[in-house]
Amino acid sequence: MASNEFVVPERYEDLTPAPNVDQKTLNRMALRSCWLQSSFNYETMQSGGWLFAMIPGLEKVHTNKKDLAASMYHNLDFINTHPFLVTFVMGIVLSLEQNKVDTQTIRAVRISAASPLGGIGDALFWLTLVPITAGITSNMAIDGNVVAPIIFLIVFNVAQFACRFGLMNWSYKVGTSAIDALTANMQAFTRAASILGVFVVGCLTVTMGATQINLTIPNGTTRGLSAQTIVVSNEDAENFADLAIDTETAEAGAMGVTDPDGNPLTAADAEGNAVETGIVDLGNGMSSVTYGTVTETPVEYSVASTLDSVLPKLVPLCLVLLLYFLFAKHNFTPIKGIVLLLAIGIIGALPFINLWG
Amino acid sequence: MDVSIVQIALVFVVTFIAAIDQFDFLESLYQPIVTGAVIGAILGDLNTGLVVGGTYQLMTIGNMPIGGAQPPNAVIGGIMAAIFACSLDMDPNVAVATAIPFALLGQYGVTLFFTLRAPLLEFFRGCAEKADTKGITKWTIVSECILGLIFAVIVTLFFIGGLAVGQQIVDSIPEWLNTGLSQAGNMMKFVGFAILLKIMMNRDMWGFFFMGFGLALIASNIEAIAGPALLILTFIGFGIAFWDFQQQTELKGAVSDGGDFEDGI
Repeated sequence: MASNEFVVPERYEDLTPAPNVDQKTLNRMALRSCWLQSSFNYETMQSGGWLFAMIPGLEKVHTNKKDLAASMYHNLDFINTHPFLVTFVMGIVLSLEQNKVDTQTIRAVRISAASPLGGIGDALFWLTLVPITAGITSNMAIDGNVVAPIIFLIVFNVAQFACRFGLMNWSYKVGTSAIDALTANMQAFTRAASILGVFVVGCLTVTMGATQINLTIPNGTTRGLSAQTIVVSNEDAENFADLAIDTETAEAGAMGVTDPDGNPLTAADAEGNAVETGIVDLGNGMSSVTYGTVTETPVEYSVASTLDSVLPKLVPLCLVLLLYFLFAKHNFTPIKGIVLLLAIGIIGALPFINLWG
Repeated sequence: MDVSIVQIALVFVVTFIAAIDQFDFLESLYQPIVTGAVIGAILGDLNTGLVVGGTYQLMTIGNMPIGGAQPPNAVIGGIMAAIFACSLDMDPNVAVATAIPFALLGQYGVTLFFTLRAPLLEFFRGCAEKADTKGITKWTIVSECILGLIFAVIVTLFFIGGLAVGQQIVDSIPEWLNTGLSQAGNMMKFVGFAILLKIMMNRDMWGFFFMGFGLALIASNIEAIAGPALLILTFIGFGIAFWDFQQQTELKGAVSDGGDFEDGI
């Protein structure tokens, strides 16, 4: 583990734009993109596989070894995109790398282009293609048809590879042709890309941040009076008539029809409506008796609902800001951040703390 | 039913491949409809395998890895269901139901694995610093093999040991440790976010970060657009960034145009 964090330079040493990469390299990148999630982890998600897929192109455009190192290092940034659409981002990033754009710009464009693709890809593949093909072929398989799995594999993979190769070529062409207009105003472009980049990270903090403090603190009890109504014979009803309780001091479960002074009580029925207790003669020898039972419900103070009323997703926001502060001002390395979060997670889960609910 | 060494070895290999394929490569070989048939063929009952695979597949539709969420693990679930049906003569539907706890165990395992795999990235960073492209390939292979081996060993143990082993493993992990690790895993993406912010942030940019945060809160609470929220938000962010780009470049243009303007008057 490196004790000093590698510093990615703002600009590459060799700023001469490299010639366009050949088709063979693009094809290799598209094939390697199949391994996008090969080192998927919760810190930077697909970054290892992303770098693995980018390497054929990076090797071609960065002949300076120091530049290649810098480029490889910053291509390990957090990235989470759809595995089948990733080549769209790869083509754009490669065209930026090839033109030796500032590293900050490349990083900002990469996160901004990659993040929204997740939803599109999920909608196209997991919510459309797979349910339809797997739905049809599953029923064939249940009927014992051996070709069912084969049909499924063919349809799915034709669609997948059409996306991978098609997007790779298309986005690389778009990227290389649009780059001249952008590099003419490099500073403004870097600024604009960073604006979109931090905007998207702000969005991701909400859409991907699920951490919540589900702590509940017991906060005494509330007393209540719940109403029950029964129908009994008139003789039995008389036994109820002198059931008097003091609702302030009676124990939970005590029943009463009147308070100590003989006035009717006000209790809450099952729907929470207030009803008066008392005995009503129904006229047929039976009486309807409404009495109140003293209830004691424990009150729990929920940290989560208080936090949500301040600002939803407050915990993710605070954690991101805390980590930003540690990385930017205290030269924390990523691995220290990971260890810190592991400690928070496990300590918070200890039975006597139980922060996560 | 007696199983031969060859069958155990084949189940091991199939699981190894399926485990890797669930996240990489063709991302379709691991689907229960495929593994069911393959395991069925290995255990000498292709037809049962097909039926179990199809049954399990229908159950998993709508239970896909959407938005980075980990559904019950289809690799372990699908393979175990096929093993139960073919080797214990279970009814396909019962076999699928029996396999669910194993799929949940697999889901736990994957979450845990993704949390613990984060330090592996240090090796990638080490290779990147030296521009060692071969090293990246090496660590990619190592990383995949670890994943494949964990799955293959676990499924093979279940295959040999049966149900009892699975339950024992589930019981041996204390609940709080599980919660703690999965919560930590849940938070780890914030490290990635913070690093990105560190690169892009300067004093002018904080407003855009909080604007993104605020708009995302609104969008994710509107049910109709919560799904594609991120795409919609990116459009908004793009509009703001594009407008800023035009402002910056036109300002520059206006300065040089100043002379022409005076000439005109």
